[in-house]
Amino acid sequence: MSVNGQSQVPPGFRFHPTEEELLHYYLKKKVGYEKIDLDVIRDVDLNKLEPWDIQERCKIGSTPQNDWYFFSHKDKKYPTGTRTNRATAAGFWKATGRDKIIYSNFKRIGMRKTLVFYKGRAPHGQKSDWIMHEYRLDETSATDTIATNSMGEIVQEDGWVVCRVFKKKNHHKSLDSPSNSSITTITKSQMLDSRNDGALDQIIQYMGRTCKKESDSISNDMRGLRHFDSVTSGDRFMQLPALESPPLLDHACSSQACYHPIEAQMMRNSETSLTNQGGSISNLNPVYHTGQGLSDWATLDQLVASHLNGQTDTSKQLSCFSDPSLMFSTSTHDNDLQLPQIRSANRLYQHSTQNFNSEIDLWNFNQSSSSSSDPLCHMSNSSV
Amino acid sequence: MGDDNVNLPPGFRFYPTDEELVVHFLYQKAARLPCQPDIIPDLELYSYDPWELNGKALAGGNYKWYYFSRRTQSRISNNGYWQPLGVDEPIISSSSGKKVGMKKYLIFCLGEAPMGIKTNWMMHEYRLSDSGTSSRTSKKRAKPRESSKWVLCQVFERNDGSQGSFCDNDQELSCLDEVFLSLDDDLDEINYPN
Repeated sequence: MSVNGQSQVPPGFRFHPTEEELLHYYLKKKVGYEKIDLDVIRDVDLNKLEPWDIQERCKIGSTPQNDWYFFSHKDKKYPTGTRTNRATAAGFWKATGRDKIIYSNFKRIGMRKTLVFYKGRAPHGQKSDWIMHEYRLDETSATDTIATNSMGEIVQEDGWVVCRVFKKKNHHKSLDSPSNSSITTITKSQMLDSRNDGALDQIIQYMGRTCKKESDSISNDMRGLRHFDSVTSGDRFMQLPALESPPLLDHACSSQACYHPIEAQMMRNSETSLTNQGGSISNLNPVYHTGQGLSDWATLDQLVASHLNGQTDTSKQLSCFSDPSLMFSTSTHDNDLQLPQIRSANRLYQHSTQNFNSEIDLWNFNQSSSSSSDPLCHMSNSSV
Repeated sequence: MGDDNVNLPPGFRFYPTDEELVVHFLYQKAARLPCQPDIIPDLELYSYDPWELNGKALAGGNYKWYYFSRRTQSRISNNGYWQPLGVDEPIISSSSGKKVGMKKYLIFCLGEAPMGIKTNWMMHEYRLSDSGTSSRTSKKRAKPRESSKWVLCQVFERNDGSQGSFCDNDQELSCLDEVFLSLDDDLDEINYPN
């Protein structure tokens, strides 16, 4: 059975290893010079491979892939230092965030580093959508393997890592959808221009802005986030004019007594709910009561929808573009659009004679419909 | 999990696309062609509660279960029923751009309709689209009703807060990574003001 040649992988099957499998099976074998049955994960010289070439180099069979795997040997940037050289001809991989500890049966087995590919040269690189998760074994477990396999030889061979590269989901795909004929040219050009980071960024931005009024500690935590207000040179928030409506926010702050506690709750929830994708849907539900403008609504709709749908196939149902209030939301979101659409249909049905700008009505309506803790009640209301 | 019947190395799992489910598995089932590999079992209507599927249906990646069932309107199990949600979604073939099937969303409710209590169990029920079946079967004139009798069910539990290394890193960045990623430029400015 060959994998990198003609595909023998049966239909429907994909290489989706767990982090534990990557570390404990594949990388451990690699480090221990054990033979790996199938040549699924190739060796790659990271410095000589641009991310857009990885796809061809690391494909498994002929099934479409969203992520690619390879082994890489870390090269030192400087002979004496510990930093790794991850530059290619066209750019460089830059670490982001904190390394994540990978556990197996509650035992720490390795670490995961997240890197982003920047085109150009530091510090003026241009951030791309290419992401890499670089997994390394913990020194202890790596040396264990070596000790058992190397016949007494002490081999200082800790440089192998296993990497997963994928492209952060973008929204160009939705442009290919046949059902987008109702999108106006303006929206289209906005979508083309926007290399946005999706709903989450908007929520963060929204939180960052509103948390100015929160306690100092939270404001400090979010200081970096407020920065987003001033990001105008980038093309990431092109689609956000609807959010930039201070009168609306001021109004909301002053008139909604429940605003601040809920805001705080949302911030508290955000980390837990966001780390467990697909979780904590009900936690976010109370946010609907804040009576924000429709654009914020749409953002939250998306969040709930993306949580509900998880990794549902992204078949595009862009008919909700005909709803002007949701136009912006769908353009920033590439997950399954089924739920927002249902909800918008629901609203249209319930409010067919009312102005969409009437926040209060929407608020009342949604308060009643989201009184249950189950966010799906919106959908069931609309189903016949 | 999932790869019991197929001899594949660790890491390979059944992660079919909607299109594969319809075009590969459902069409072959309807046309009574042998499925290769024949891994998705037939289960009698909807008599099983979703939590009974383990060991009976095919376990795919991400804790999803797959089985064929006869097409019916009453989706009643021992302890509850499946209630349709929203509108059905067409499955479009990526090669031809044509509609090949339909996908229905359902939620499992405990008790008797319509008073049941909603659970976290969800189903995507795939069926061949009417136009698809008729054009396919018109050549052979095999009874069209017969051919569309099967549906393919994908059942999963929407997990609220439980973790798994799967959900965390599947296809997308974890949202926390997204946050760090978005902060990256700002942090640079903070760390290296010059």
